[in-house]
Amino acid sequence: MLFPYKIILNSEIDTLKTAEEFSKVLKNGDIVALNGNLGTGKTFFVKGVAKQFNITNVNSPTFAIVYEYKGDRKIYHFDFYRIKKIEELYDIGIEEYFNDDEAIVFIEWAELMIEILPKKYYLIKINLLENNKREIEITKHE
Amino acid sequence: MNIVGIESSCDETSAAVICDGKLKANLISSQHFHKDFGGVVPELSSRAHLQIIAPLLKQALNQAGIKKDEIDVVCATAGPGLIGAVLVGLTFAKGLSYSLNKPFVPVNHIEGHIYSGFLMDEKPEYPYLCLVVSGGHTLLLIVESETAIRKLGSTIDDAAGEAFDKTAKMLGLGYPGGIKIQEEAEKGNPDFIDFPVSQCKNEFDFSFSGLKTSVLRYIQKEFGNAGNIPIDKIPDIAASFQKAAVDALIQKSERALKNYNVNSISIVGGVAANKYLRERFVLLSAKYKKSLNIPDLQFCGDNAAMIAQRGVMLHNNGLKFDLDYNAYAGLPESAFIP
Repeated sequence: MLFPYKIILNSEIDTLKTAEEFSKVLKNGDIVALNGNLGTGKTFFVKGVAKQFNITNVNSPTFAIVYEYKGDRKIYHFDFYRIKKIEELYDIGIEEYFNDDEAIVFIEWAELMIEILPKKYYLIKINLLENNKREIEITKHE
Repeated sequence: MNIVGIESSCDETSAAVICDGKLKANLISSQHFHKDFGGVVPELSSRAHLQIIAPLLKQALNQAGIKKDEIDVVCATAGPGLIGAVLVGLTFAKGLSYSLNKPFVPVNHIEGHIYSGFLMDEKPEYPYLCLVVSGGHTLLLIVESETAIRKLGSTIDDAAGEAFDKTAKMLGLGYPGGIKIQEEAEKGNPDFIDFPVSQCKNEFDFSFSGLKTSVLRYIQKEFGNAGNIPIDKIPDIAASFQKAAVDALIQKSERALKNYNVNSISIVGGVAANKYLRERFVLLSAKYKKSLNIPDLQFCGDNAAMIAQRGVMLHNNGLKFDLDYNAYAGLPESAFIP
């Protein structure tokens, strides 16, 4: 997969294929921000990537703020949907999660606290199109 | 015997006191502290828990009419939850236990919910079907005893409470979504739109992400965006959503009742406060001739009474815990929930 990467997803199977391709470039310590409106499939995409690491218990972390999964890799799955102030993230100890070199961090609704992201991260944008199609764009920031 | 419970796993700080099996105090920060102590803006903050916990316990002991040195057992949530938040209550409880030289009991927050029906006068009868519905959890379980829980299913994406909150936001109703949806739905027609109930590979699992997306699609298709929804249509959409969400819960629960022999049904967690859900489960339990147990509103959301109640249950079962017991963010292997 080369970046920027942009493709139309016609079905859930397409999303899972893209998630599988993306999982191959991920290294421990990577941070992945996901932007996209309600119902665009951010959690579904994370589920697809996690499956490649034999993690099958991915749920929406909206209420919990962060979930931790362990399979072939370790994943921290954040959701900033309920975050109102950046202090809340510092309070949670987000820097410790970001600095864990043995884990991959996913962040849903990252755009709500974009300033907390480190310099290097992947940004995934998902847009809903007509007829249940989606457009996904993955860029690498460094 | 005087039992103290402490809860701080997420947004709420709570302290409770049970004396000789009777609940004497159950103080919850968002309901009591902000009002009584001059207002702290509710935020996700270990610091907020830290500021609140000591005065809240003091007030709970006052209300219960006991002194600190009359406490016999100290119980606290050990997880799952935000680790920093959990640590505040757990460490506070350990300190209290150590200073009083009284037993300390770490409690699994979800188990607190599962057994919260026992805070009511009419208690669940084992084995009972337990539906845990909250902002963060949706679980269908068979509770066989105080130390045996069997999991039938859970959500594979969003929790039920999350679907309520996000739909409320889509409809421009604000927070807390559960109550707003309920209020609007009371004025609306639940059969206005036929939102689908998602089916999963495991027949007892739930999926609420699809329902959320269906509501969004409907709004976009009919009105372009949320700002354009005519005010008189909001109750119908809310009622139709609420019906579909509760249909899913009823459907899987009914399937469980057909497949498993239980003596009663208990619905717990924040979403159990929903009136329409309560009405529907009254009908379901009558149909299957099972007694129905739904805790009072104060025991539905996160609260320390359920932690004290579950803690004393573990204590009476002879379980002993050391003060080096650690907080956990996810479900530990030692949990009774599979």
